[in-house]
Amino acid sequence: MQGLIMGRWKEIPHTADLALHVWGSDLLDLFATAARAMMSFVAVPAQQGGELRARVQLEALDTETLLVDWLGELLFLLERERVVFVTYDFDRVTPNALSADLTGRPVGTYLANIKAVTYHNLAVVQTEEGYETEVVFDV
Amino acid sequence: MVKREEFQRVDAYVWELPRNFDSRMLVPARIYGSEALFRAAFDDRSIEQLVNVAMLPGIVKYAMAMPDMHQGYGFPIGGVAAFDADTGIVSPGGVGYDINCGVRMLASQIEEEEIRPHLNDLATILYRNCPSGVGEGGAVRLSYGELDRVLEEGARWAKAQGYATEDDLERTESGGRMPRANPSAVPDRAKQRGLPQLGSLGSGNHFLEIDIVDAIYEAEAAAAFGLREGQVVVQIHCGSRGLGHEVCSQYLRMLQDAPRRYGFEIPDRELVSAPYDSVEGRDYVAAMAAAANYAFANRQVLAHFVRLSFEEVLAGKVSNWHLQQVYDITHNMAKVEDHVVDGKRRTLIVHRKGATRSFPAGHPELTEVYRSTGQPVLVPGSMGTASYVLVGTESSMALTFGSSCHGAGRTMSRHAATRRARGEQVRSELHEQGITVRAQSMRGLAEEAPFAYKDVSEVVDSVAGVGIARKVARVHPVAVIKG
Repeated sequence: MQGLIMGRWKEIPHTADLALHVWGSDLLDLFATAARAMMSFVAVPAQQGGELRARVQLEALDTETLLVDWLGELLFLLERERVVFVTYDFDRVTPNALSADLTGRPVGTYLANIKAVTYHNLAVVQTEEGYETEVVFDV
Repeated sequence: MVKREEFQRVDAYVWELPRNFDSRMLVPARIYGSEALFRAAFDDRSIEQLVNVAMLPGIVKYAMAMPDMHQGYGFPIGGVAAFDADTGIVSPGGVGYDINCGVRMLASQIEEEEIRPHLNDLATILYRNCPSGVGEGGAVRLSYGELDRVLEEGARWAKAQGYATEDDLERTESGGRMPRANPSAVPDRAKQRGLPQLGSLGSGNHFLEIDIVDAIYEAEAAAAFGLREGQVVVQIHCGSRGLGHEVCSQYLRMLQDAPRRYGFEIPDRELVSAPYDSVEGRDYVAAMAAAANYAFANRQVLAHFVRLSFEEVLAGKVSNWHLQQVYDITHNMAKVEDHVVDGKRRTLIVHRKGATRSFPAGHPELTEVYRSTGQPVLVPGSMGTASYVLVGTESSMALTFGSSCHGAGRTMSRHAATRRARGEQVRSELHEQGITVRAQSMRGLAEEAPFAYKDVSEVVDSVAGVGIARKVARVHPVAVIKG
């Protein structure tokens, strides 16, 4: 399922690193939007080159850890496979687990390196509109 | 929220928050620095982070912050905290994501006038031979088996491969090889990241610089370190790359449940820790040491390619192109050390995150070459500004468990820096100052512009004021290579 992607994000001022505030209509939307937002800072996919696929299955003690794991997985795949994954077909997203088929293209240009997704101020919060969170990346 | 008035000024450069500020604090918090730097510490959340550190089990004497303190993840950057080896914890947040980020300095016998005509060529060759930038692999590709040897042996492995001399190892902190390293404690994902990256600078605030020594503050110590005015030196600033970052991330995750299981609370989840005397604690230390060894090997390999580059460009053009190591320090590490506390000798796990060891003359852990002088403390400035070489003192043992600052923090976000200037502009301004630049990323260059950083001279003056290190020499860059 792809769900309705209504999510939005914005960069928050941070002296040393990268901080994003992300909103989603549901958990899937939040995770997908956070991922796309992060990827937009690290790499641009090539125009040419075939589509590449990967499968991700994650479980975590809490939703914050799940989010860190999810974003970390995308960064790991970018580094190891040199692929920018920006299309996510989730078949499961719960507060403690997710699985998804990813589609992406080879890296066209690298923009920046993220050392790690941190737990700084990290709280996935449910609101009337859906979910929101702030994520800080060590750059 | 901590207010300035709640600190007591214990000495000219020492500010203390008593432990009764928060009932969870086990020790007071101390900030070392000038009044201006002390005031600046309230600009971000670094003081709250310092107070949190004071709550961690087994902490000894104080939770400390060096003059260059600023907000980090868990511990503030510039944070120093020592924990009892029997009753205390070890914390990945007290080491940092970039395990063994550090600085190496090499000294030449070349004068500034001799190298000027060749700087452009030298910068180009260094940029080619020393990979930097995002997505770039390292100069050395490893197999799994070889990587395990790197993780165990660090710079010693590099020597076996012909990348180092025995003299290099002697002039490296811990001989370039941390004890207690265990490759099995390093998660496979970290190894996968480390395989293609050995011998690479990385990006961000990492750099390779050619500098000129422009001031000597202590002639005897400078001579002992092999430094003199007008001389060309090289600095390499980088760490353990993706392998180290992954070790930290994975252990932050693995230790999530440890505080609950071992019966203590942590005020901030970025301070997850485990008792040093536990399986989890020892595993982290073993993985951290392995990642540290990777970083020592990394800087050693880069130093080798710097030497090859000097030879390639300067052989036949200068009389002596050889580079001798001055020292290699780490500024993100936890080390098991013996310290005298209230008259008694104790074994402590000293966490230095964005802080550098600063041991005095006579310390048994110092290499024989420097035992009568004291340890060189390398403090890099930001791009285009001065860097310093200091020497460790007895006072540092009494005040900060033998610790000092590591560099300057940022004043401006990366985003704001790129809005203020373009990379090309920064490059031409540096060029006007006589600094040749090679950089993979123009945006990265703008983010790292000198105006985005605090003044390291102020930090170093505070360090000297506290007495935890003394100034020995100052250098300024003439060429910068960045990812």
